[in-house]
Amino acid sequence: MNDLAQSTTAPIVSARGLRKRFGRNEILHGLDFDIPAGRIYGLVGHNGAGKTTTLNALLGLTSYEGTVRVLGEDPYQKRAQLMENVAFISDVASLPRFLRVRELFALLTNIHPSFDPQKARGFLEGTDVKMEARIKNLSKGMIAQLHLAVVMAINARLLVLDEPTLGLDITYRKRFYRRLLEDYMTEERTLLITTHQVDEIEFMLSDIMFIREGELILHMQMETVSTKFAQVIVKPDQLAAATALGPIYSETRFGQTAMVFDGVERDRLAELGEVSTPTLSDLFVALMQRGAK
Amino acid sequence: MKSLVALIKREFIEHKGAFLYAPAIILAVLSVVMLSGVSFGRFSAVQQVGIISGAKGFEFGFLALSGLWFAYLLFALFFYFADAFSADSRNNSMLFWKSMPVSDFKMLASKMTAGLTLFPALIFGAALVSGVVVFVGTLIMVYTVPGFHLSDPVSYLATGANIAGFSLGYLVLALLWYAPFFGWVGLLSTLFRRWSIPLAFLVPGLVGLAENLLLRDAGPDGGYVLSYLRRRADFEIDGDDLRLALFSDAPFDIATVLGRFVASIDWTQMVGGLVVAALFVYVASEVRRRAVAG
Repeated sequence: MNDLAQSTTAPIVSARGLRKRFGRNEILHGLDFDIPAGRIYGLVGHNGAGKTTTLNALLGLTSYEGTVRVLGEDPYQKRAQLMENVAFISDVASLPRFLRVRELFALLTNIHPSFDPQKARGFLEGTDVKMEARIKNLSKGMIAQLHLAVVMAINARLLVLDEPTLGLDITYRKRFYRRLLEDYMTEERTLLITTHQVDEIEFMLSDIMFIREGELILHMQMETVSTKFAQVIVKPDQLAAATALGPIYSETRFGQTAMVFDGVERDRLAELGEVSTPTLSDLFVALMQRGAK
Repeated sequence: MKSLVALIKREFIEHKGAFLYAPAIILAVLSVVMLSGVSFGRFSAVQQVGIISGAKGFEFGFLALSGLWFAYLLFALFFYFADAFSADSRNNSMLFWKSMPVSDFKMLASKMTAGLTLFPALIFGAALVSGVVVFVGTLIMVYTVPGFHLSDPVSYLATGANIAGFSLGYLVLALLWYAPFFGWVGLLSTLFRRWSIPLAFLVPGLVGLAENLLLRDAGPDGGYVLSYLRRRADFEIDGDDLRLALFSDAPFDIATVLGRFVASIDWTQMVGGLVVAALFVYVASEVRRRAVAG
């Protein structure tokens, strides 16, 4: 079920046969995918599905089998060089707590050639994060804002976010993603994001990847999702006909039966009931159940 | 180079408690105790040590305090290396530093460099300030203790420079000599975090014990491992040289004492030790490189 985006330029990320084992336990079972420039990718999966392991491989944080190229380089061999053009937030609490915000910016100015302290200061304007504040005294939300300001002030071509809003309340989460879209994304930049709160990022995604038990079960552009998949609230008298079309998922809610179809023409489905595009979370539930071991 | 300096500065910010604030507090307490003791006649170099020359008293006091600061430095560095090499994973900032364009080797090399340059420099600074305190104490004694006579001011300067030069020379050589031990503690810290503190002694102790059990009566007394480590731990200045320099009427002669000491150093061991230290840091960096996700 892959719809690898075609691009005339080299992909930002390319993985072929990406496998990862911990002892005898294989976590990733040979992933193949390309991520072109200028896209916003969502990588979605259950806990333990292999999302973070995949990101770790792309970021050069773990060894792997297969071939991975990020910006044309082997990330495990060239992590340090790669980080000049790649930024990531793996954990909102990973900023060094012993530093003041001012000290953090001063250090980054000398450590990271693509970091712009003026930009970072600008991103913090209007927030409660003060330059003299110690990071250990900031709230979770403020630390997330600070970390986002730091990565947005890095002129990176690829930004990887692994559950960046974990533990934040809804206000901070919405502000976080709005800021990211408004102040960071350009056509030259690529964003790869994993989160459990998939509905919150659906509006901004250009592409989606579902991973289940170390295998990619969906990889396509969001436009394709809306043409390929359909959800129908089936009329009671059409249940048998709908079932005959082979829905990939069926659920009865408050007396209504909703079915998700893969690759069935909408004209045919319209006769069965009210047709809509499934939300990512509905599609996720549907695809996770189909063929689950 | 700019990033290395920044990383060393980061080490300073993270560990300034042990290498700046604590020495400053110790210095403040020491100054108050020493100067009040001298001012109120609770210590008399004439009665207790038999020193009657102000310059000699200054020399003796400055050198003794430099020795104590050196002991403090070794103690603090041991805990620094046991902590710093694993601090990023313990305080959860490892992934942040891994998002920087800096290799794991450079990251750990910055810690090693800070431990062997910046922090010793700070403690050496504390030793110099101690020298000033001793100098002031000596002046007070000259005017308050009968029989304790004032030397000419130039001799104080010369003595201070001699002791400071000797302390600095010994400090540099000792840090280079003990570098493999610090590298060893750092490597253990990367592998076992704070368990590196007992393991730094336990591992060689067990290896030595195993050697003694397996190769009984062979080799030198205590076995090859332990006798080598005993030799490697010994970096003392010859006691006779030091006594002669301190208890003679002539001013402390840095050229003679340090010259004889440098000549007695096993330079093959010194260079070999530095190679081993670099190897420990490299292995630690490879461990750290694999540390985030297995």
